[in-house]
Amino acid sequence: MNVLPFVIIIPLLGVFSLPLVGLVGKKAREAWALLISGATLGVTSKLLYNVWSTKETLVYTLGAKSPMGQGVGFPVRIVWEVDLLSAIMAFTIAFVAFLAVAYSIEYMRHDTGLEKYYVLILVLELGMLGIVLTGDIFNFYVFLEIMSIASYALVAFRNDTWEGIEAGIKYMFVGSLASSFILLGIALLYGQYGTLTMAYLAEKMAANFTLTAKIALAFLIGGLLFKSGAVPVHMWLADAHPAAPSSISAMLSGLVIKAGGVYVIARIAFSVFGMAVNLRTLGWVIIFFACLTLIVGNAMAVVQTDMKRLLAFSSVGQIGYILLGLGIGLAAYGTKVGEIATAGAIYHTVNHAIMKALLFMVAGAVLHELGTKDLNELSGLAKTMPKTTFAFIVGAAAIIGLPPLNGFASKWLLYESSALFNPFLGAIAIIGTAFCTAAYIRVLYTFLGRPSERVMKAKEPGMAMLLPMFILVGAIILMGLFPWQISKGVMIPAASMLANIKGYVLAVMGGV
Amino acid sequence: MIPFQFITAFLLIFMGVYAFLYKRNLLKLILALDVIDSGIHLLLISFGYRLENNVLPTAPIYTGYETVKAPMVGPLPQALVLTSIVIGVCVLSLAVALTINAYRHYGSLDVNKLRRLRG
Repeated sequence: MNVLPFVIIIPLLGVFSLPLVGLVGKKAREAWALLISGATLGVTSKLLYNVWSTKETLVYTLGAKSPMGQGVGFPVRIVWEVDLLSAIMAFTIAFVAFLAVAYSIEYMRHDTGLEKYYVLILVLELGMLGIVLTGDIFNFYVFLEIMSIASYALVAFRNDTWEGIEAGIKYMFVGSLASSFILLGIALLYGQYGTLTMAYLAEKMAANFTLTAKIALAFLIGGLLFKSGAVPVHMWLADAHPAAPSSISAMLSGLVIKAGGVYVIARIAFSVFGMAVNLRTLGWVIIFFACLTLIVGNAMAVVQTDMKRLLAFSSVGQIGYILLGLGIGLAAYGTKVGEIATAGAIYHTVNHAIMKALLFMVAGAVLHELGTKDLNELSGLAKTMPKTTFAFIVGAAAIIGLPPLNGFASKWLLYESSALFNPFLGAIAIIGTAFCTAAYIRVLYTFLGRPSERVMKAKEPGMAMLLPMFILVGAIILMGLFPWQISKGVMIPAASMLANIKGYVLAVMGGV
Repeated sequence: MIPFQFITAFLLIFMGVYAFLYKRNLLKLILALDVIDSGIHLLLISFGYRLENNVLPTAPIYTGYETVKAPMVGPLPQALVLTSIVIGVCVLSLAVALTINAYRHYGSLDVNKLRRLRG
């Protein structure tokens, strides 16, 4: 049986039945949200296993057996197309979203309007899953907007505070402008080629690559760089991610900027434009933005005093690493170096989703127990919250890239490939890491320092918050134990499947 | 020659972007977003327009197509625009709701007053 449609069906059912189930009671609502996200996790893990074991691109056509129209030789229906990269992303999304739902049961206990909260968090998950599954460019836009609207609403969820509203408004205006650019790009592509299926679009573009398509590419990449928070346009991210509730920050920083930004850049650059555009030029454009993002994001993280803001800037920096890997993968397309760089970018995407979710959950636990996220007031936290501090140390060590943890393997792949491609880029990547280390060491010094008055009254958060955090710690350590097996067994095949543009096209078009 | 409807569409988009960058009132920003969207919708709709033998095209829902002998406009762009309008309404209503909340907290609709987050 094809499990692919259930990845969307289950969360969609859960979203619309949740308000009804919520009528029974508060406990039933939480249990239902947990059940739905757990079932989604199960389905996506089956999907990942299927794709990984067969190494074939799965295609699902909505409403028919074959994407081709009756009597015509080209696809007219909406298709969902899943290769290994999509499956990895879907699994990561479902995993982190499940833990975020579990975490928010205790974290959001004192808030009101929770039925809306759980509906929105599942809609957010649904939108991201749709983005990574789809093979139709307008369908992608619809899912992108589903995801974006849910995340605007969630950033401004605590509408009794000015912080949430201001961040929500900034995020919403920048995000909507970016979405409009993306829609304009899609409209131009449709006007030029008369199709919306990504695979057919790639085939037509390879035959005839026009100026309109180049302009469309510029609009699409521009809009997506907005959405992923690359540096000239990163300011919304530093406002929006800290202002959201911490369980949402974990999803926004861990997943949204990747599913709605970096993943789509990879998909569009490789699978749609890959056969037509000059990949070397496109790769260098992305590398340029990546280097800026890398340096500015990590350097800005060092000077922050607000803990969640520090983490948000660190997210900007880590997006820089992922974009760097992607850019090198494009610029050195077809070589071993390019493949390693792409694999490193995919690996780092997964690792960063786990690490940053953990770090934001730690920040949320501190905020929940102490009511402040100002680093100047948090000194000596290790004395009263040792378990939380331990989780933070693991997350920080992983994000810096210390050897026994998962961040090391992905960063190593990125350093190795960037140094082989161009030593200058390798140096920039190392400088970024130096800033990153400085930022996190500062937080650790605060946590391990002399206890202040305020911190002495703190206590550990409850089990419902600690458990998701420790599952993530376990995942970091477990992935750190088998770094090369994961990169050889999963990430390199994912990179080579992404680089195999013809395979992606033929999966939909058949043997045409 | 570029058809006039494309010029109009890009003019609308450009006007929207201009207003988005240079206006300070939140409500005007919302209108600017809407104008940009309208421009894109016009662009999409005009991609579906066909003029053959100087006969005006019919709508895709028109059933007496065989007797009229006129070309049909493309149905797909209309479906896309319909979807996009629905999405636009969602964004618009959320933006207005947030603006009301912002007015409650800040007592002003000036974007330059929304500058309390720093760092």
